[in-house]
Amino acid sequence: MSERALPMDAIVIENVTKHFRKSTVQRHHTTLKTEIVRWLRRGRRKLPQMFIQSLNGVTLRIPQGKTMGIIGRNGAGKSTLLKIITGIYSPSSGTVQVNGRISALLDLGAGFHPDFSGRENILINGIILGMSRSEIRGRMQTIIDFSELGDFIDEPVRTYSSGMYMRLAFSVATFVDPDILLVDEILAVGDEHFSRKSKAKMAEFKKSGKTIVLVTHDLATVESWCDLAAWIDQGRICAVGHPREVVSQYRQAVELGEAQLEQPALTAPATLGHPELDASAAAESQEANGVATEPLELKDVQLRDRANRPASTLGPSDSLDVLIDFEATEGLSDIGFSIRIARADGVQVYATSTFNESIQLPNPLPRLGTLRFSIERLGLVDDTYSVEVVAHTESGHEYDSSKGVLSFSIVSNTQETGMVRLLHRWSIESRNDAASDIHPLTGS
Amino acid sequence: MLRNLRELYQYRALLWSLTLRELRARYRASVLGFLWTFLNPTLLMLAYTLVFGVFMKAQIKHFVYFLFVGLLPWIFFSTSIGVGASAISDRRDLLTKVRFPPQVLPATVVATNLCNYLLSIPLMIALGGYFGIWPSWHVVAYPLVLGLQVVFTLALSYFVSALNVAFRDLQHIIANLLTLWFFVTPVLYSQKDIPERFRSVAIAGNPMAVLVTSYQAIFYEHRLPAGPPLAVVALESLILLWLSSAVFEHRREEFAELV
Repeated sequence: MSERALPMDAIVIENVTKHFRKSTVQRHHTTLKTEIVRWLRRGRRKLPQMFIQSLNGVTLRIPQGKTMGIIGRNGAGKSTLLKIITGIYSPSSGTVQVNGRISALLDLGAGFHPDFSGRENILINGIILGMSRSEIRGRMQTIIDFSELGDFIDEPVRTYSSGMYMRLAFSVATFVDPDILLVDEILAVGDEHFSRKSKAKMAEFKKSGKTIVLVTHDLATVESWCDLAAWIDQGRICAVGHPREVVSQYRQAVELGEAQLEQPALTAPATLGHPELDASAAAESQEANGVATEPLELKDVQLRDRANRPASTLGPSDSLDVLIDFEATEGLSDIGFSIRIARADGVQVYATSTFNESIQLPNPLPRLGTLRFSIERLGLVDDTYSVEVVAHTESGHEYDSSKGVLSFSIVSNTQETGMVRLLHRWSIESRNDAASDIHPLTGS
Repeated sequence: MLRNLRELYQYRALLWSLTLRELRARYRASVLGFLWTFLNPTLLMLAYTLVFGVFMKAQIKHFVYFLFVGLLPWIFFSTSIGVGASAISDRRDLLTKVRFPPQVLPATVVATNLCNYLLSIPLMIALGGYFGIWPSWHVVAYPLVLGLQVVFTLALSYFVSALNVAFRDLQHIIANLLTLWFFVTPVLYSQKDIPERFRSVAIAGNPMAVLVTSYQAIFYEHRLPAGPPLAVVALESLILLWLSSAVFEHRREEFAELV
């Protein structure tokens, strides 16, 4: 814990608690009238204050450049935590340290003045986030273009539909060039087209090494997208670490909770909870455990293109090789590998395993080796994709995996849509003669 | 107080943008919009002239002009406080979604009304010209008096806007108090009309009375305003600004939770 204050961490939250007055939560605004009447009746005796504890000693470190998913039930304190990180709320006790410019998409929308036009709101939000007026003017057109609001940009924001509102909010929050992006359940909003566009933008963010904190109920997104996950319940961190493990713990707890409805309180089983551990420490400890207990470890997984160069941006019909360096214990036989390719929004494009295809791996496996998975032709359309490799036994026990690390983008100059690029060709047959000619057609 | 003012300076671009936007919205429909701004003071002036100048035959020469000299800064003050009271409590949308510097909001209201006041000054001078009264060299004291009024107005609007977040009925109470305040301030009547034994108390106890009579001294009576009462107002304004900034700072943590 000696490196606690290193700038490596984008966000350091230390033992933060937050309580709200009950009257505040129930929106009972005191009026001067009632206050005076009370004062006359009871003298200056204060009413006992009822407090609602929203966060209860949260300690969390979010490393720079990582994407962290925060999960938990409704009312667990996720959104309060985001508002404290943003600085909208101040913690009742504890400290929050943020290294870098922070931009947030909270609830449904950014801080917009309903009577101001979209353009004016972009200006105001840009200034609040620390940009100068000229900087904002320089980016204004890009933001407007991305939001696809067209002429509506000069109409008051209160006339916007919720989709337009969201588009503007997303465009502003991402184009002010933040180091840290906080997102609260936003990706589900908007039409198919914009939702894809915003996911691509988020993927770009992730790729350029920015820190993202994502509050969501979409567990699949957390598993496929995040490097780390934290599960909050009743204002406490129940678990921090590898997304798959945190999500499965959360799922278990939800199932447990559903099974015992008379006991609505969800608490992590004692063995699973690591409330004191921060994210990076949890990750480290897992690595340490992995070496000690698991018979196979993935040392390195790389993506290579046709020329055996590291692949990050590819054409739709390029080839792709996945190189998996592993280290196994002597004489390991019950072992196989799964590969899963998913789109940035978490939709699975393809998954297979050595067991599915009855691939005969050398038995026993060499202690050190590299497995190569070659895709002749990708056949995908423009988007960003993640590649996940899992080593496991035939019965499904997982030894090691490489989640949230590898991704590549498909860039083409065609406007094809859909999930995959099917292998195809166009041709035309002329039938005005007795003999029909077939002319293959080629693109420019 | 210093932290408050430093942050206000730090966010001056925001203050400037918001004020500009308010003004632009008001003057958008060029001629009509411009006239609309003066409709309120003009109607008030006509009504007061009718009642006090014609019916009750006030013993003040060029009553319309006299009225205008005091009424315009009063409107600047009362609108700033009246609108400023809800400046923070009405902006839930801004305060709960981004880290918005709250002191900019009442400051924007004050700045906007200051601009409106300054824009109506030519109208006042033109009206004086109609009666053959032109500004004299005594206007050198005007920026000082105006500066004092800005500090006093800003301080008071910080105070009421911060308290109105917790006590929502304050804005209605303020509206009534402002009406009362208007009638104890010598706008409709000259301070000489106040019975001698109350006069010094009525003026000294009311910073707005000192400011309004100072404007009247400069533009109507063509003399320099009395120094000592203004010095007292300056001191009062600074103490009030210090106090209200302290209240504001103390309360601002709760704004996002309470609005």
